[in-house]
Amino acid sequence: MKKRHFSQKYLRIETLPTLFCPGCFNGVVINALSKALEEEGVASLRGYVFVSGIGCSSWIPSPYILADSLHVLHGRAVAVAMGVKLANPKLEVIVIGGDGDLASIGISHLIHAARRNLDIVVIMVNNLVYGMTRGQQSPTTPRGLETTTTPYGSFEYPIDMCRVLRETNANYVARWTIAHFFQLKDSIREALFRLRRGFRYIEVVAPCTTYVARRLGLKPSSILRDLLKNSKRVEEIRRGDTIGEDSIVVGIFKSEDKPGYIELYQDYSMRARGVQSG
Amino acid sequence: MARHDEKSILLGGIGGQGIVYATTLLAKALFAEGYYVAQLQSYGAEVRGGAVIGWIVYSTQPIVSPFTDVFDTVLVLHQKALEEIEKKKFTYTRLIVENDLVSSTIEADYRYPIHRVAKKLGLEGNENIIALGILAGHGIVSREELRKLLESNKKNIRALEEGVKLVARD
Amino acid sequence: MNRVFITGNEAVAYGALAAGCNFYAGYPITPSSEIMHLMARELPRRGGVFVQVEDEIAAINALIGASWAGSRAMTATSGPGFSLMQEGLGYAVMTETPLVVVDVMRAGPATGQATKPAQGDLMQARWGRHGDQVLPVLAPSSPQECYDLVIRAFTIAEELRTPVVVLSDEFIGHGREVVELAGEVRIPSRRRPRSAREPPFYSEDPRVPPPMPRLGDGFNVLVTGSTHDGFGYRDTRSFDTHYKLVKRIWDKIWLNRDTIFDYEAVGIDDAIIGFVAYGSTARSVAKSVEILRREGIRAGYIKLKTLWPIDTKPIEVLAERVEAIIVPELSLGQLVFDIERAAKNYTKIYSFNKVGGGEPIYPRELVELARKVLSR
Repeated sequence: MKKRHFSQKYLRIETLPTLFCPGCFNGVVINALSKALEEEGVASLRGYVFVSGIGCSSWIPSPYILADSLHVLHGRAVAVAMGVKLANPKLEVIVIGGDGDLASIGISHLIHAARRNLDIVVIMVNNLVYGMTRGQQSPTTPRGLETTTTPYGSFEYPIDMCRVLRETNANYVARWTIAHFFQLKDSIREALFRLRRGFRYIEVVAPCTTYVARRLGLKPSSILRDLLKNSKRVEEIRRGDTIGEDSIVVGIFKSEDKPGYIELYQDYSMRARGVQSG
Repeated sequence: MARHDEKSILLGGIGGQGIVYATTLLAKALFAEGYYVAQLQSYGAEVRGGAVIGWIVYSTQPIVSPFTDVFDTVLVLHQKALEEIEKKKFTYTRLIVENDLVSSTIEADYRYPIHRVAKKLGLEGNENIIALGILAGHGIVSREELRKLLESNKKNIRALEEGVKLVARD
Repeated sequence: MNRVFITGNEAVAYGALAAGCNFYAGYPITPSSEIMHLMARELPRRGGVFVQVEDEIAAINALIGASWAGSRAMTATSGPGFSLMQEGLGYAVMTETPLVVVDVMRAGPATGQATKPAQGDLMQARWGRHGDQVLPVLAPSSPQECYDLVIRAFTIAEELRTPVVVLSDEFIGHGREVVELAGEVRIPSRRRPRSAREPPFYSEDPRVPPPMPRLGDGFNVLVTGSTHDGFGYRDTRSFDTHYKLVKRIWDKIWLNRDTIFDYEAVGIDDAIIGFVAYGSTARSVAKSVEILRREGIRAGYIKLKTLWPIDTKPIEVLAERVEAIIVPELSLGQLVFDIERAAKNYTKIYSFNKVGGGEPIYPRELVELARKVLSR
């Protein structure tokens, strides 16, 4: 009998193969997440709730992951996740989405969830463009990249969500590329099973194979090499260093263990119970 | 046009005079007396400085409509409120006005120097409560119920009693 | 029974608490904020969740998440916030998520006369979302009805697995009146599936909503705003799946119209002139009918407590009897379209419109209009 791949227990087999483009790096994210769960001995995803918005990476949990999942409006995954987590804090709530979903239309929810240190894990798959709608510029598109809406090369300054979120009350902020598979998997383990509380954000730089790589005439393998070559570890950057626009700063930007929103709210409720109504 | 047992009162003034608060207290006192009461007020940005009105419809039976342009009693603490009432073409049976802040050309049924009394007795800022005392003095609302609502504030209780006295002196 | 003297906004909050609402997410906006203030005071100490979120979009979406996690969820807002919630409401319709949204109407469009009362959101409450959808819209005309109808809104939401909108307005929200609070209210709980074989998004009888699994109960539920089959699997291609889904959700509300639709008819048996109204305006109508009757003019009215779905039969009955129907609204006229649709073949219809400046429609104005109409 053929041995089942370890990840199959976490997937809706009947939905495979995925609808992702050939060579799409979303598979690497599914793999890293599965490996993290496997290494932690998770047998089933009961008690996990995945929330995703609109975009290619939002399809990772819905329909492919065998768990409760809410596939919600564009940009609103974090807001829905907040409702789920507050209504039942026992649930482990994971948001998976892209740069368009989380860093553009949904950025305010992301930042406010981080401000509150809301007890959820957010995995942002940063493919550098709007992939599903055919390769338009996104807030993370590097300058110079030709996209369908910047046919002469993007000229806008992109946003670095890790630097933004580092300045909030988020407990954990990390970025890896799909060329850092083991570090990514370890970050997921760290966020889900070691820290366990507060807002935990993991960004994965996973350039869209169709609208970034193919446009640049790059093969997936050479993309991996480029990602490794251009990566710069966050701990090696000193104040005042200039970072080239081609560089991708990777590593753990922040790791703390402050109480998250749930604990703060529970304390607040206890205080409220001590006060008579007016 | 009000039903025989349905009564209506309007309080008017300008922002800062505590008209909405006084209307609420009056309404709560009438409710405590056992009436059905509907209370409304102008609410919004103009509450700071412009005319403010609050009104009450009360009855021994459920209130059919909180909206009326016919009032049994109108009490105004400022000319601006009276102008607002004229603009709205409200009609009324009894008009009670603040003596100094409402033009002397206005034909009122009663005029009381509310502000002068407040100033003399150190009750500035409590003119609205003096006005409630006047309504109690006229037997429109129970002085006891108002006292119960104002219990926690000695100055308010004094203001209420001064209002009652103003009517008694008439 | 507990007799209290409270505003419509307070009555909304007390109604929600009586109905077992245990999740509130909201964003400040006048004239609805007092609802949020009361929920902020009460929910944390009752073991519920209150959260002030970053915007109205977050509010409606947090409600969706909370509802799927098993909560009874509500938010309250006014025009601008209600506009921002429309996409989320559409998602709640498509995923059959029970929740309650209270819109305390103010004069718009845009910022309009912030906080001045109006009744201009009727069509938006019905049709504000894109696509084919329908959701129940209830309309209280007093603090008492705020209390009663919010309880009813939760009942309908749970029974039919649907979002419900309650349209209040500034007069009702800030007006204080006597309210009888119920001792205890029992709201039916939403039906849960017994096994994973029961489809959470399909039912044979469109009048009966499918059972709703709760997150964390092991059903591996797939919730999506995309067109989906009975088990939540996305199907964005086939005619059958889409048509069956949106038609079933549509029918769920329309075929239950008899139970959702609620109205009061006063004096219509012998009326020669009729009014149809809702919300605070219905109060002036009631008063004007009382005055007209006292003057010997046989007037009657229908007060709509449900604005959607609407059953036009009672309006047709009224139309057959009277010489004219007057439809007063604190807007340029929206409800009047329904009345025309139902009654224009039977009688004359007059729209009476007034909006802005915090001006109500006074009973006297309606009495005068009725006299004028009858003398024509």
